[in-house]
Amino acid sequence: MIGDRILGVVLLLLAVVYGWEAAMFPEPFGGSEAVGPETFPLILSVVLGLSSIYLLVRPDEDEEWPHMKMLAELGFVLLILAIFTLMLQPVGFIPATTLMVGVLCWRMGAKPLPSVFTGVGSAVVVYVLFNFLLELHLPAGLLKLSGG
Amino acid sequence: METLNFLLQGFAVALTPENLMFAAIGAILGTVIGALPGLGPANGVAILIPLAFSLGLPASSALILLTSVYAGAMYGGRISSILLNIPGDEPAMMTCLDGYPMALKGRAAEALAISAIASFIGSLLATVGLVILAPILAKFALRFGPAEYFALFTLAFATLGGITGKNQVKTVVAACLGLMIATVGVDITTGNQRYTYDILELYEGVDFIIAIVGLFAISELLFFIEMHAGEGFKKVSLNKLNLSMKDIIQVLPTCLRGSVLGFIAGVLPGAGASLGSFLSYTMEKKIVGKSGYFGEGDPRGVAAPEAGNNAAANGALVPMLTLGVPGSGTTAVLLAMLISLNIQPGPMLFTQNAELVWGVIAALFVGNLILLLLNIPMIGIFVKLLSIPPKYLMPVVTLVASVGIFAISNSPLDLYFMIGFGLLGYLLRKLHIPLVPVILGMLLGPEMEKSLRHALTISDGDWTILWSSGLSVGIWAVAIAGLVLPYLIGPVLRRRMAAAQDKDHSIVD
Repeated sequence: MIGDRILGVVLLLLAVVYGWEAAMFPEPFGGSEAVGPETFPLILSVVLGLSSIYLLVRPDEDEEWPHMKMLAELGFVLLILAIFTLMLQPVGFIPATTLMVGVLCWRMGAKPLPSVFTGVGSAVVVYVLFNFLLELHLPAGLLKLSGG
Repeated sequence: METLNFLLQGFAVALTPENLMFAAIGAILGTVIGALPGLGPANGVAILIPLAFSLGLPASSALILLTSVYAGAMYGGRISSILLNIPGDEPAMMTCLDGYPMALKGRAAEALAISAIASFIGSLLATVGLVILAPILAKFALRFGPAEYFALFTLAFATLGGITGKNQVKTVVAACLGLMIATVGVDITTGNQRYTYDILELYEGVDFIIAIVGLFAISELLFFIEMHAGEGFKKVSLNKLNLSMKDIIQVLPTCLRGSVLGFIAGVLPGAGASLGSFLSYTMEKKIVGKSGYFGEGDPRGVAAPEAGNNAAANGALVPMLTLGVPGSGTTAVLLAMLISLNIQPGPMLFTQNAELVWGVIAALFVGNLILLLLNIPMIGIFVKLLSIPPKYLMPVVTLVASVGIFAISNSPLDLYFMIGFGLLGYLLRKLHIPLVPVILGMLLGPEMEKSLRHALTISDGDWTILWSSGLSVGIWAVAIAGLVLPYLIGPVLRRRMAAAQDKDHSIVD
């Protein structure tokens, strides 16, 4: 119940802001037309607004939401993916991938040693496959520096 | 016989060594994707799109590869249904009912072989149906004006929840979200910036491939972690195959009936593969139920839903190719592939890109044959895949998805977007907002707005043009029915499907 109510409020806000912005669009060059840049967004805004009011009035049963600990866990997974992205170009594909795949395996319940093994293995295989077989160049990062 | 000529030309495209190789790779990958836990067909195809894209494959090869994956995933989904009583994807649900009892009786290899044959017949007949029906529908669709197209796009959203959909308002919400994302960027007609907030990267809009991979693949990873589903299934073993010609002949009529029903369910909006397999199973039980032992491992109970869901999967390609309106998640992902290759599906596809479209159709025949040949002798290898624990599999899948996205334009920003969409996908799924309409909204948004514009330019601003022809009124009527009917019929159908499942569980317990 509460989940859908919150969703309803968020969507209603979104609909209003989205519609408001559409109404504020400057008139296109060459004068207004029957369907301007704002027409379609305004229709969407109305449809979404009405649907979100329905959700507020008649919410569904809630799905069980995970506890704080699990939410932190999921947040950590997203963070790992972000760190992977951050490391990719400066540090290189192989270290970034080893870290990402290794940590994900570990968080999914694998023991540390097989996790590291999967991380290194998948990093090297994908790197070789892409750079040499498919000729799509992934960032070498530090490896390139040390190799001259 | 114009069609036959085109089809022969199509075979000339599909049978080049290179394309044959892509069909074979696609078939293997697809079966693997279907068999592996946690990788549905839509998810699998979505991950492969950026890869096919960044490899710079020619359009026909890329499409042949991905349609073979699509066909293969339908084959793969049945393996875990039969061996573990866990459907690999939703359409494979009905296959559990008789497939698993057969496996319990030590006839797993026979169940797998029969289901492969039934899948083959279902796909084959449905592809024949596609060859006959698609050109007719394409010709008819040439009469559609922009007003009819606008109505048709609305129909696609209205029926997407399917006849068994639970909360139609949530489908509408999802469609709105997708359409809203599609409006971000520079407006093509007027050049106005919309919702870009002066961020350069947003001028071209949000790339739907990134959104698809994020919504499907990353949210799936989060769900696996939340459910502690890292360990996977117990090991399974197979008996030696002992199948006689008599067994195959016994299930043939069932396959034929299931294929026809499945194909019809696939072509119609809002029915899809799940309903196709459900209808075939139920009908088969009604027709021959008394002489058989349905629910206790009757081979016909395996053949019917498998023929049905494979036929429906191919039938679903008819509206996607001829009208540009997909009816299911996976066909929506295939549409994304077409659009990113700069091919606009619709009636013109059959005249402008005849070689491509017939090449793909021919590839469906070829891929299907490869799948049959692959699935009977090599089934043991695919069965072994079931025991790969997701705790190793999912991180590697996530890696492949990320690499694909990164390879499109070597931009880390794309990866941040993917992660963001992953979070969004997780939240939406938790709130029971379906993801497919979001994606379809992003795909169809620009076309939908364009047809609205064209219609109103023709009528000089008169909105009644949208429902002024008999054809458009008809489409609107179906759209409204699609939105309202689930409230009336849905509960009954859902109860029946649930009842069929319960009965199955009582046998197992």
